[in-house]
Amino acid sequence: MLVALWPQRWTRQQRSNATLVSALVLMVLALAVLGQLLSVLPEPIGSNAQAFAAGARTTLWLTLISGTLGLLLGTCAALARTSRWRVLRWAASFYIWAIRGTPLLVQILFVYFALPALVPGLNLPDFAAAVVALSLNVGAYNSEAIRAGLLAVPRGQTEAARALGLGHAHVFADVVFPQAFKISLPPLVSNFVALLKDSSLAYAIGVVELTNVGNRIQSATFQPIATLSTVAVTYLLLTTLVTQISNAIEYRFDVEGRSK
Amino acid sequence: MSAPQAFIVADHVCKSFGTHQVLRDVSTHFSTGEVTVIIGASGSGKSTLLRAINRLEPHDSGTITIDGVPVTDDAATLQKQRCEVGMVFQQFNLFGHLSVLDNVTLAPRRVRRTARAQANEQAMLLLRRVGLQDHAHKYPWQLSGGQQQRVAIARALAMQPKVMLFDEPTSALDPEMVQEVLDVMRELARGGMTMIVVTHEMGFAREVADRVLFFDQGRIAHDAPPEAFFGNPANDRIRAFIGRMGA
Repeated sequence: MLVALWPQRWTRQQRSNATLVSALVLMVLALAVLGQLLSVLPEPIGSNAQAFAAGARTTLWLTLISGTLGLLLGTCAALARTSRWRVLRWAASFYIWAIRGTPLLVQILFVYFALPALVPGLNLPDFAAAVVALSLNVGAYNSEAIRAGLLAVPRGQTEAARALGLGHAHVFADVVFPQAFKISLPPLVSNFVALLKDSSLAYAIGVVELTNVGNRIQSATFQPIATLSTVAVTYLLLTTLVTQISNAIEYRFDVEGRSK
Repeated sequence: MSAPQAFIVADHVCKSFGTHQVLRDVSTHFSTGEVTVIIGASGSGKSTLLRAINRLEPHDSGTITIDGVPVTDDAATLQKQRCEVGMVFQQFNLFGHLSVLDNVTLAPRRVRRTARAQANEQAMLLLRRVGLQDHAHKYPWQLSGGQQQRVAIARALAMQPKVMLFDEPTSALDPEMVQEVLDVMRELARGGMTMIVVTHEMGFAREVADRVLFFDQGRIAHDAPPEAFFGNPANDRIRAFIGRMGA
């Protein structure tokens, strides 16, 4: 764990910041030098190094954009799910029910092929269609993680905040959400890492991401072991870095020093 | 000195949880500068009355007024009223993700829009008052129960309330920590704060209260100054209760 590398005398925040910055730098660096790194490998990797690097970048972009949108969507859906208004609760339940009950692959195909037929003029390019489908998918799972966090914040916290005269928005933003978010963080990280891997399904609608690149080279060179191993190791590299970043965030929120 | 004024007035207040009636037609008033101690068996409705005053538990019928203004669901009025009425809970309910200092400054900064530096300064004064100035940058989990409750008192005082409500403030504490909290409350009472205290601390009631209310099955069964209440119990039920509490 990167977090454990820093001197003990540093404060929690300093160690968390140091981890965040170094993990981000490592990630940018890894993507930048991935091409050069792979180009020194023997055939068929060496000659296709740039294609692998571009695929990895696409995968990361897909994940970052869908992950951010999915977090917003998940928060909104969790709020709707716990709302006072029945219509909102129903809408959120329906969304979660539909998304969790259908395969992600079907959702991706649906957004790309069926949506333009349903809504004339809505012809999304492959990357955008993948982002929409992945965001909707991870949003549904995130909303349940965040809802679990919201429900886990003790009632006394809300009561104390209200008794102090804080308004609804402040009770939520200053007292409930930060504590709920901390509780939700581990499942949210799982969802994010799952998203990074699930983004490979965008391959089905022709997005040239890491898996797609690997498979194309594999079928052109008939060297499945080398190409698919390269794909797998690149995914591992990305998930490891993502996990380091999320560990740093978790560490910052852990004011009680409970996670070791 | 002006004559004490009725600041909080409860008029025929009723409240039920399902079929269980917790408050039956409760009428009373609490005056400025007065320390009222409410005692009674658990489930007799004393906490519910306290929680109805700042509408954490809305009452079913009757009226409660604070400084002449009825307590209702109207958000703006209610928020203003809650700023004037500080509350201390049995379980402290400190915000676990915030430092002691931030616990105390949160409401002034958000509600009164006090600048952070000024809010911190005021908070440090309050923390000194409750003897916790050296713990300002700790988190609640690093404090003992008694210290946490003193922070909770400072947090409530930060809004400069006109009344302080205490809902069994020492019931969740280890015996050796009860005194430090009672000392702070005694100091507050001496400073002229209007207080309504639900407690089982008979010693505190005898010594600090101006008035003792005895709750029994959702009604105010007796209302007397402490000398009369403890020295000359009005009936056998009260005598038995005082006996059980060891006062």
